[in-house]
Amino acid sequence: MLKGKVALVTGSSRGIGRAIALKLAEQGADVIVNFFRRRQAAEQTAKDVEGLGVTAKVIKANVGDPEKVDEMFDIIGSSFGRLDIFINNAASGLPRSALDLDTKGWDWTMDINAKAFLLCTQRAVKLMEGRGGKIVTVSSLGSHLVLPGYTAIGVSKAALEALTRYLAIELAAKGICVNAVAASLVTTEAGVLYARLAKEQLGEAFPWQTTPAGRLVAPEDIANVVAFLCSEEAFMIRGQIIIIDGGTSLVPFSLTSKGG
Amino acid sequence: MSAVEETIKDIIVKIVHCDREVLTPTATFKDMKADSLDMVQVLVALEDEFGIEIPDEDAQKFQNFSDFIAYVEARVAEKKGNA
Repeated sequence: MLKGKVALVTGSSRGIGRAIALKLAEQGADVIVNFFRRRQAAEQTAKDVEGLGVTAKVIKANVGDPEKVDEMFDIIGSSFGRLDIFINNAASGLPRSALDLDTKGWDWTMDINAKAFLLCTQRAVKLMEGRGGKIVTVSSLGSHLVLPGYTAIGVSKAALEALTRYLAIELAAKGICVNAVAASLVTTEAGVLYARLAKEQLGEAFPWQTTPAGRLVAPEDIANVVAFLCSEEAFMIRGQIIIIDGGTSLVPFSLTSKGG
Repeated sequence: MSAVEETIKDIIVKIVHCDREVLTPTATFKDMKADSLDMVQVLVALEDEFGIEIPDEDAQKFQNFSDFIAYVEARVAEKKGNA
């Protein structure tokens, strides 16, 4: 299905990014595994990608740093000469209430979560020119719902979603599809840590322990939708934010482990 | 005190905004009142300064400031050896 395609997944050493990398590899794509802090985990992802019979390449880069983004794309250009799929997944942030946010935390979060999407897309499009491509970014329900300590990340995700719409239109005529997925709490190391820190540091329990669908969202749930958005079947979906939350955002109250 | 240690202290003081005197061999990131973002920014600044890599898998093992200095010095020496 994606045989012969080259895909970049930022932040794919673990969690959602790793699940997406493996899903795209399973469908035949060669995968560039970008990481920032966890080399061993990234190398494990690459090994698992290669185990699916495709090529993997590990590239370290803080996507919040424009110079590092340029270096990463220079390597992709010289190694592969093209790019068919770009998955903007890398994200960062600390649990802070709005009044406790400082400029350092704000800039860090906005740079990695929002600005990186623009900078990476600008470079990715050059490697897609003339052939089309697929771009998917990973957002969250915090872009429009208020979650404990999620101010900076929520704002960065709102920017990301707006950018998804602008890019979708600007790149539509080039045959490049741009969309986003947005999930509720996902069972990753980062997701679980965030919920724990929000409780410890802010005393606010994360509102979702399950979903109306009976369990929390798993990284593979996101990867399945991302893979669909990267397929030709999704060609006419442009600039949309696909919500993957087991119905969570439709119910106006907190969910307990017993369900709604 | 090595030049590497001096540079590490300069970077920590600049990023964490702590007093240089806090940076004793037994000091921890907690003593420096550094949050997780401070820690990552210190590691990234050191990586850029020395052209080395300090992955989180290694950084999680540091018990105190002297462990940290020893690790960075070893990486810097390794790099010089390879150059």
